[in-house]
Amino acid sequence: MTPEHLDMERLRQLALEQPESGVTRAIAIVVSLCFLLAVLDLVRRGRLREEYTPIWVAVALGIMALSVWFDAVRMIARVIGAWTPSSTLYFCGMLFLLVLCLNYAVRLSAIATQVKLLAQEISLLRAELADRDDDERGGPLRDAP
Amino acid sequence: MRRRQSDVLVVVPAFNEERTIASVVEGLHRSVPDADVLVVDDGSRDGTARRARDAGAMVVAHAFNLGYGAALQTGYKRAERAGYQELVQMDADGQHDPGDVPRLLAPLRRGDADVVIGSRFALPTGYSMGVARSVGRLFFQRVLVALGGARIADPTSGFQALGRRAFGFCCGDFYPSDFPDIDVLLLLHRHGFRIVEVPVTMAPSPPARVPMHTGLREVYYTYKMLLATFRSALTRTEHG
Repeated sequence: MTPEHLDMERLRQLALEQPESGVTRAIAIVVSLCFLLAVLDLVRRGRLREEYTPIWVAVALGIMALSVWFDAVRMIARVIGAWTPSSTLYFCGMLFLLVLCLNYAVRLSAIATQVKLLAQEISLLRAELADRDDDERGGPLRDAP
Repeated sequence: MRRRQSDVLVVVPAFNEERTIASVVEGLHRSVPDADVLVVDDGSRDGTARRARDAGAMVVAHAFNLGYGAALQTGYKRAERAGYQELVQMDADGQHDPGDVPRLLAPLRRGDADVVIGSRFALPTGYSMGVARSVGRLFFQRVLVALGGARIADPTSGFQALGRRAFGFCCGDFYPSDFPDIDVLLLLHRHGFRIVEVPVTMAPSPPARVPMHTGLREVYYTYKMLLATFRSALTRTEHG
């Protein structure tokens, strides 16, 4: 290896070993704390159902844990062959959002089926109710055939 | 709404069809006076429900638009609960001839079929399909034949007759909300229902109507049919 050539592997190690700044760490902790508080506040005001919170609480705690224990990000970066901790975080974030969107699509499908069932049921029940009203009025109102 | 007077229910799904619905209902009363007529108003914003009622039909009205398939299924559900034995479905735009209803019911009554499809294949009208859809159609016809079913020329025909077991089966959650096509027929076939096709006369859809599938929607439609067929082909049935 001549000095004119960049040793890519050495470069990658350098990038990975760059110490992260304290500011980054502080921002991460503040963001995760705010996020956690926002989730709790949404639950308190009844705008977010409890069963949807675990994933968001886990995300908040995850960001917090990683900002304290940043070496974990470096470890993951080494394993997956990334160059920098930041690109690793982007990758994980994207993956998480992808799975989350799919999960919401599944939930939406279920809700669409439920809405259809309910709407059909209401229309049928309304028709049956009209039958009963007709009975109470003394026989159905019929047009002559 | 009046009570069941007959063993036959004619279901007419309708969405904003106030111009034609009355004549369709009246035509049915003339051609099949024994049958009950149910108009499923799929969230129309015009006077469809009122005109249908005035013409002497029973009306079940969705609070909002759910789709053609969902409207049909509401009819199936009503028929199942009220105890009808036979069901005929017909479009509200006047393209089907009420005079053909007895022809659709005949194979059911002879015990030859559980589902009878009234097809326009006897009459080459000006009706044309897009390329994607035609190719898709051909493919699914082959699949159905390969699975031992009949060759259905016109699987999207909205003019059909179903026996009690068949429309009861179609009350299931699998039934599509938009447009049931050959995927539903495949599923019916795999569940042991016998499907036959009879020729009927069909007026071309009124020119004012937007074609059901155009451009991207047509591609999406073929894609959806492929997925649905994939699903129904892989679904385990009690008939194997």
